[in-house]
Amino acid sequence: MSEAELVEAITTSHAEQIESAEVLRSQRVSVVVKREVFLEVAEALRDEYGFKTPSAAGGLDYPKEERMQMIYYLFNPDSKITLTLRVDLPRDDPTLPTLTGVWEAMSFHEREAHEMFGIEFEGHPNMIPLLMPPDWRGGYPLRKDFKGEAGEE
Amino acid sequence: MSEPTITPDLMRISWGPQHPMSGQTRILLDVDGEKVHKIIADLGFTHRGIEKILENRSFLQGIVPIERMVMIDTANIGLGYVMAIEESLGIEVPERAHWIRSLVCELSRISSHLYAFGLQAESTGYFPAVFLWTTTDRTVLLDLMEELTGARFSYNFFLPGGVMKDLTEGFEDRVIEGVQYLRKRFEDYWTAMIENIVFEARCNDVAVLKPEDAIRLGATGPVLRGSGISIDVRKDEPYAAYGDLDFEVITESACDSMARTKVRYREIGQSLNMMEQVANEIPGGPIRTRFPLFTRSKPGEVYSRVETGRGEMGIHMFTAVGMNPYRVKINSPTLRNMYVFERLCELDEMLMADVPVVINSIDPWYLDSDR
Repeated sequence: MSEAELVEAITTSHAEQIESAEVLRSQRVSVVVKREVFLEVAEALRDEYGFKTPSAAGGLDYPKEERMQMIYYLFNPDSKITLTLRVDLPRDDPTLPTLTGVWEAMSFHEREAHEMFGIEFEGHPNMIPLLMPPDWRGGYPLRKDFKGEAGEE
Repeated sequence: MSEPTITPDLMRISWGPQHPMSGQTRILLDVDGEKVHKIIADLGFTHRGIEKILENRSFLQGIVPIERMVMIDTANIGLGYVMAIEESLGIEVPERAHWIRSLVCELSRISSHLYAFGLQAESTGYFPAVFLWTTTDRTVLLDLMEELTGARFSYNFFLPGGVMKDLTEGFEDRVIEGVQYLRKRFEDYWTAMIENIVFEARCNDVAVLKPEDAIRLGATGPVLRGSGISIDVRKDEPYAAYGDLDFEVITESACDSMARTKVRYREIGQSLNMMEQVANEIPGGPIRTRFPLFTRSKPGEVYSRVETGRGEMGIHMFTAVGMNPYRVKINSPTLRNMYVFERLCELDEMLMADVPVVINSIDPWYLDSDR
């Protein structure tokens, strides 16, 4: 399945659930999903479209637009396409269901996004800091308004 | 890390964080006698915030900190970042520069695999000499790198639009000399290590990772190819001169620690072939196009992938109007493989004595996973 066919298949079968799907360049596809139906689309991508390998995940902060984005990187070992599955989140309530039920290896990446961006993952089995020290109280380092000063509890 | 609770009747052993084999990390092992029941990787001891640092540097300045991620394999890491800059700013690279990049990357990959190989020998407890052999043989590569780039470890040799310097006079001949020397040495490694009965006993059938598990858990690099799956960014999505170079993707079907070690061994052979090919067939021409020192970027995003010594690394660069990247997300291979390592004791029976062997067959570099 080529990139254009993939995007067309996703837009026709999941028209209600996604906000946009596009080909960024060869072997790169981006899909933005609505937060409420995010898990259904993720399962379809794994089972129907062959995105079996979880590569990574990370956040992105847009303070001026009052929004954040959670990006999951998925890889299809047959067609070698990298798909970025994105969810837009409001900055004052960055909550979404965990994806560890679909790809369990997203666990590490979600823990990292939690400590770096303050994104909450509902139902994550083991939400402890991955890289930051356990007594860190200085805020979320990768948010754009982070000042780089450690605070006190 | 707030420590997860422990099941009664198990003993928790803290391995590290002061340099267990390679790098700083802490591995918690829940053991019942000799048998390992649970592995918990406590990462983050070398977190330096490289992603945040890159947001506050100009595109060119970022080349220096990003190479600190994997000191042993700096060329491949640096190339991923430079490729992201080139794609987002639309810079062309001359043909000769592509070939020089491939040469430097393969030198760097061999050096990285040699280190992993030596540590694997050390971890079985029987071959400290092999670690000294690989370290000595690596100086051949480091001497070549020093002549070409002026540095033995952190090269900062790739610039957006090309490479820093052209090959010195007679460099191709010295590359071929080095390749011939290393090929001879590798025959010794095979008999001294891979075929050795003690090494076989320690590595064969240890920590078997089935192909479907490797894919599901997101393994990458030699760990994935050691499970028999032929995925390599150099082949799937050729960058630099890899489209023109002849090489095959090495896979092993045994799926155990020995298979992962053999993948590295045989990949070094492929890299030596590629170095020879570059030395013989490198095209002429300019080595870089002009890259203005102060460049303003447009809003956009680029995701570039490279195959480093440890597996696929992705650099997702978001740009806004300005001189710096808006955000750089680094998808490091070690973080993916460390998750596989955590699960390995559940997939296959693992004993305490196997842990050093298994972790070195994964070849982690914690500065890479911690960033």
